[in-house]
Amino acid sequence: MPAIRGEEAATKRLKGPAHRRPAVVADYGEVGESPVRLWGTVHLELASFPVRRARLGGRAGYDGGVLTIDADVVRGLVLRDPRIAEVRLELAHPGDSARVLRALDAIEPLHKPEGPVRAFPGFLGPPHTAGHGQTHRLDGFTVVQVTEFPFPASGVQAFEEGVIEMSGPGAAYSGCADRVNLLLVLTPGRAASNVDYDDAVRRAALRVADHLAALTVGHPAGHVEIFDHGGDDGGRRRVVWVHQVRAQGPMVQSFLYGHEISGMLPTVLDPNELLDGALVGANYKTGSKTPTCIHTRHPSLLALAARHGRELHFAGVIVSRGHHENEFLKERSAHFVAKLATLLRADGALCTYEATGNTHVDFMLTVQALERAGIPTASVVHEYGGPLGEDPPLVDVVPEAVALASSGGIDRRLTLPAVERAIGGDHLAHRGEPARGPLDLPIQELYAATAAMNARGVVAVEY
Amino acid sequence: MRIVHYLNQFFAGIGGEDRAETPPGARAGAVGPGRALQQLLAGEAEIAGTVFCGDGLVADGPDAVVPEIVALIGRFAPDVVVAGPAFDAGRYGLACARVCAAVIERLGIPVLAAMAPDNAAVEIYRREVLIVPTTVTALGMKAALAAMARLALRLGRDETLGPAAVEGYLPRGRRMNARAPAPASERALELLLARLDGRPFTSEVPLPRYERIPPPPPVADPARMRLALVTECGLVPSGNPDRLEWVRASKWLTYSLDGKQNLARGDYEVAHGGYDAAFAVEDPDRLVPVDAVRELVRRGEIGEVLDAYYVTCGNHGILSQMATHAREIAADLRRQHVDSVLLVAT
Repeated sequence: MPAIRGEEAATKRLKGPAHRRPAVVADYGEVGESPVRLWGTVHLELASFPVRRARLGGRAGYDGGVLTIDADVVRGLVLRDPRIAEVRLELAHPGDSARVLRALDAIEPLHKPEGPVRAFPGFLGPPHTAGHGQTHRLDGFTVVQVTEFPFPASGVQAFEEGVIEMSGPGAAYSGCADRVNLLLVLTPGRAASNVDYDDAVRRAALRVADHLAALTVGHPAGHVEIFDHGGDDGGRRRVVWVHQVRAQGPMVQSFLYGHEISGMLPTVLDPNELLDGALVGANYKTGSKTPTCIHTRHPSLLALAARHGRELHFAGVIVSRGHHENEFLKERSAHFVAKLATLLRADGALCTYEATGNTHVDFMLTVQALERAGIPTASVVHEYGGPLGEDPPLVDVVPEAVALASSGGIDRRLTLPAVERAIGGDHLAHRGEPARGPLDLPIQELYAATAAMNARGVVAVEY
Repeated sequence: MRIVHYLNQFFAGIGGEDRAETPPGARAGAVGPGRALQQLLAGEAEIAGTVFCGDGLVADGPDAVVPEIVALIGRFAPDVVVAGPAFDAGRYGLACARVCAAVIERLGIPVLAAMAPDNAAVEIYRREVLIVPTTVTALGMKAALAAMARLALRLGRDETLGPAAVEGYLPRGRRMNARAPAPASERALELLLARLDGRPFTSEVPLPRYERIPPPPPVADPARMRLALVTECGLVPSGNPDRLEWVRASKWLTYSLDGKQNLARGDYEVAHGGYDAAFAVEDPDRLVPVDAVRELVRRGEIGEVLDAYYVTCGNHGILSQMATHAREIAADLRRQHVDSVLLVAT
């Protein structure tokens, strides 16, 4: 039986008994034998297909920057899973007078036309090493999950609002405001728990993403990038990227090859694995999350890849966890990062981290461990400091953190005008204001603000 | 545009250290370095008057002399007040900063001082007084006056100033967002390559210094203490009647424990987005241990417990706001003769 993927999979599964299955464990069919060597050739051809407009209805397809989405196919892909009762599709384009509420993850669609390894490995295919062969990507387009959860929860398990402001002063700080977004507005179905429902939402959105990226097969790409970081370093400085991602439990977690990382020790990835969707975000903390569309296209990765083979040798990505429960585990993780960097013979480390106060401690200990291992670091930090930037900008510091780039202050406040259209609810989940009305809020209540601010060159400066 | 210039006794031409007790005085027009400043203002503004005072008087008895200096300044009806440059002179720098701060407070007009960045007055006053950096000695007089003239004119025109590094003043302790030409990741990589090359580099974020709070000594006699329960855990009565924010709390609250031997499940909820509160919803005493402290009181191990608990939410707390909450809570506890606090952190 050949590998099942894309639209074909949707059709087959809609006819079959799959929707009666209980919780989905592995969401892929049989994997065929492949002529492609699975590992050793870390050579990725990433073909980008820019999306300038998307429209719902008609025959699904991609043509010259316009993506036509067949709503029935997408609905079928989503509702295959009985844990989701209903889905409504909406589009939001940059500049729309629109506000998206309750946004969870955002995925830039990827599809690997050759197989057998699938994009988002561990979810759409087996957890086999990705990062080689061909990948198609819908450039500037995202599939966004929009939903509430079926069961009441408090504390960190109560998800935070995710507000995407598509125009006006909030757009500059909102993740995905510069993209064409397909919003999957979901209603919970027969999910046993919030965790169970979250799993259903993630898998549904990834299925849709794969299907949409597969529409580009046979079309000329906008541009093709070759990523290959193998070979000899040629005496160039070896630089690693330390990518600390967050895992605090359900609602605030990340997935590596289909499994959440709370028990993970720091590990090493080829950069190409991330480009193929090895990391999937499931952190719903509004402003400080790294959505999947950033994990697959991180500005740190792009900066290092652009200089690979010239000013430096990109020696690998160390993925570590943030938000360990105590100082002991934080130290343990920090020293594992330093050890892996040493084993990779790193001359320097570019360090970034996801999220907030607690994880900032993990991060600073990691910087310290690297420096003490003789590996100079430079880091990206977002700043706090209160509405006027008068308080200390960082939660925690080590004296070794001597080279920090700022991605701006997230406590500064914005005044947002009323919008014509709101998607995801008629009021803000926690603040209670009407969804379409004017808002006064700190930047960090906007969707993926820290990641967006890094990518867009926001910086906090002294006044 | 009318400018008043403040100088010490030395730069006003009265005398050196032996005349440090010179009382406040005023002259029409520019005096001393003010004459060069007047030329740099290039006809766009005039130095209407010069006010001076001995450094010793301002340093030692500011409460007496600063109001008099401000009154002299006010008589010239200025649009802008400039002071110095004081270079690294400690008492002169302090005098310039004090006079400027008082002008802001009493006259409400823009001010500008000039002194070396290491002058002790900078750290005390930079948040309220706009200060132009100068060299340590008067060798840098020309550059200092040029910077003062440029900024004084901008202040007089009521223009909004850009970042400190662009405008050429000392940072006032505010960090606001601007746009850089490249993503932060690329700028961090530039910093890293500079480090690896041994090239000079400048971190974009100065490392903050935090106030160290030493732990208090142990309670001498627990059997006689009057204890209060205080927490940032966000535990509030069900329905959150006072709308405690679950991030960046703007308030602290107090709730009665009168007649309660413990906190019953269902009566409370957690307004805090930073931790998994399921354990506390199951039994609120796990956050605010009323059951345990009542038991300790019964056994005579602790004296008494205040019949109310204090709560705010620490999640994403803004440091200065949290410090305000803490001071207010402490004052309230003092009024109720509380001498010990069980502080539950999450």
